[in-house]
Amino acid sequence: MSVDIARKNLFHDRTRFLITVVGVTFSVVLIFAQVGIYLGFIENASIIIDNTDAEIWITSKSSANFDFPLAFDERRLAKVKEVPGVADADYLILTWLSMRLADGGSEAVELIGFNPHTGVGGPWQLVEGSVQALKAGHGLIVDESAFPKLGALRVGDLVEVDETRLRVVGISRGVRGFTTAPYVFTSLRTAREVDPRFRDRTVFIVARVVPGHDPSQVAERLRALPYLDVHTRDEYSLKTRLYWTLQTGLGVGFALTALMAVVVGTVVVAQTIYTATIEHLREFGTLKAIGATNRMVYGIIVEQAVINAVVGYAAGLLITLLAVHSSSLTGVVMVVRPPVMLAVFIVAVAMCLGAAVISVRKALQVDPVMVFRA
Amino acid sequence: MTTIEATALTKVYREATTDVVAVRDASLATAAGEIVAVMGPSGSGKTTLLSMLGCILRPTTGTVTIDGQRVWDSDERDLPRLRRRYVGFIFQSFNLFPALTAAENVEVVLNLKGLDGRAARREAGRLLERVGLAPRLDFRPRDLSGGEKQRVSIARALAGDPPLILADEPTANLDASNGEQVMRLLREAAAQGRSVVIVTHDHRVAPWVDRTVLLEDGRLVA
Repeated sequence: MSVDIARKNLFHDRTRFLITVVGVTFSVVLIFAQVGIYLGFIENASIIIDNTDAEIWITSKSSANFDFPLAFDERRLAKVKEVPGVADADYLILTWLSMRLADGGSEAVELIGFNPHTGVGGPWQLVEGSVQALKAGHGLIVDESAFPKLGALRVGDLVEVDETRLRVVGISRGVRGFTTAPYVFTSLRTAREVDPRFRDRTVFIVARVVPGHDPSQVAERLRALPYLDVHTRDEYSLKTRLYWTLQTGLGVGFALTALMAVVVGTVVVAQTIYTATIEHLREFGTLKAIGATNRMVYGIIVEQAVINAVVGYAAGLLITLLAVHSSSLTGVVMVVRPPVMLAVFIVAVAMCLGAAVISVRKALQVDPVMVFRA
Repeated sequence: MTTIEATALTKVYREATTDVVAVRDASLATAAGEIVAVMGPSGSGKTTLLSMLGCILRPTTGTVTIDGQRVWDSDERDLPRLRRRYVGFIFQSFNLFPALTAAENVEVVLNLKGLDGRAARREAGRLLERVGLAPRLDFRPRDLSGGEKQRVSIARALAGDPPLILADEPTANLDASNGEQVMRLLREAAAQGRSVVIVTHDHRVAPWVDRTVLLEDGRLVA
């Protein structure tokens, strides 16, 4: 093994190394935070769609996203069920209402009315109570993530939604919405009682396809029905995510902040690497004089850039994972999965290599004749 | 046997609109085992001459032949290989790598010449032992005296056994005792069949060299 001049020089000046690593770490944490929180938001935006056991979602024309749909005539359900490849279909209602709180205040909620006999469109994980209890009517399932807003409700508690008293029959887990209004679940029948506008209307028709049938092909057949938009689950999930990302400026905001993180990180790393290179110019000249090639010289700077990236990334990832762990306590959802980790690692390495470009040029310009000057 | 032969070396620098001749028509040959001192006042062209002999600075005209190889006929990209193979450098300011130990400073050259790992480490130890620095292998330059640094520099120049040692003011920053020790080591290096060319102001080297040539205004006059 050869003497690793890059590593030795880097660790020789610990203060500079620390400053560089802090710069990379700061940048990495900021990128992770932006991407992680964005993904957290955006996954929440389509959380009901993604967790509902229905491959096809039918909405009114031009219904932009899951949270702000438009209602349509419920008689369409029969037509949907007639289409070849559709195994079953259900109504699903979503309506914005107000829930009175124990302290006398009120909070907006998104009430989802679903068929408790099939469970399609309902909560997928209950920590207390049961979906079946909704069949009796005037029942409500509340997600535990809504407790900070709605209070720590328990099964058996009575609540008032738009002046209709409902009893809490279940507590769900993992249903955290994108909007500030929590999702609460009830039966389709109760939802129509609470909000009579939906007595003969529905917001969604959710359909399951016959096993073995391609949901895209079934969706294509359903598109022959007039006045409706038909999406596969993935299409509707993406449509909802894109709506929030593009129509609200959310995506641009996150992307700009992430870009700023890359720029700040690049500037910090570039400054420290460049200063280090200037201070080591004589050493680069000596290396060249004793026979090192240009490739060996820029290899040293590139290796230093990569070490900075790897160490800074590792520290940034550690801080991020701690933040993800504690994010469940703060209510902010950060999603950091292996593909995101890999992508941010590539960005960190590219950032450090980009930052090293000027230094590489400087080192390559060194004239070895300089070594004879005292 | 001639190790290095420089013939009619001229170096002209262009400064603004004027041509400045740093070295004019200089010819110099050294035999294996010989130490030649090139002396001259500041600005006489000593460093330029040394750079051309060391395959670092391309002469405007003239040729340099080391061990039968015409250096300046080679492609620019081939010069690092020629320097690795033929030349060991000793610098006035030592030019050691501050982050590396004495042994590692020598190992770097051995690595460049293709010797790695334990073999390089062993060889670096042997060379440093030869210059009397066996107890200082793991010392960094900041923990060494000026004389010790120059001896590390000599060990580094000897690494890989080049036929030519070029020394730029090797005793300039040293007291009499250390200067003498350095010259003794160079004498030993020459005795092993190398040519040594020293560029210096220091008349204390005179007793240690075989021949002294004088460079004045870019011309070798003696």
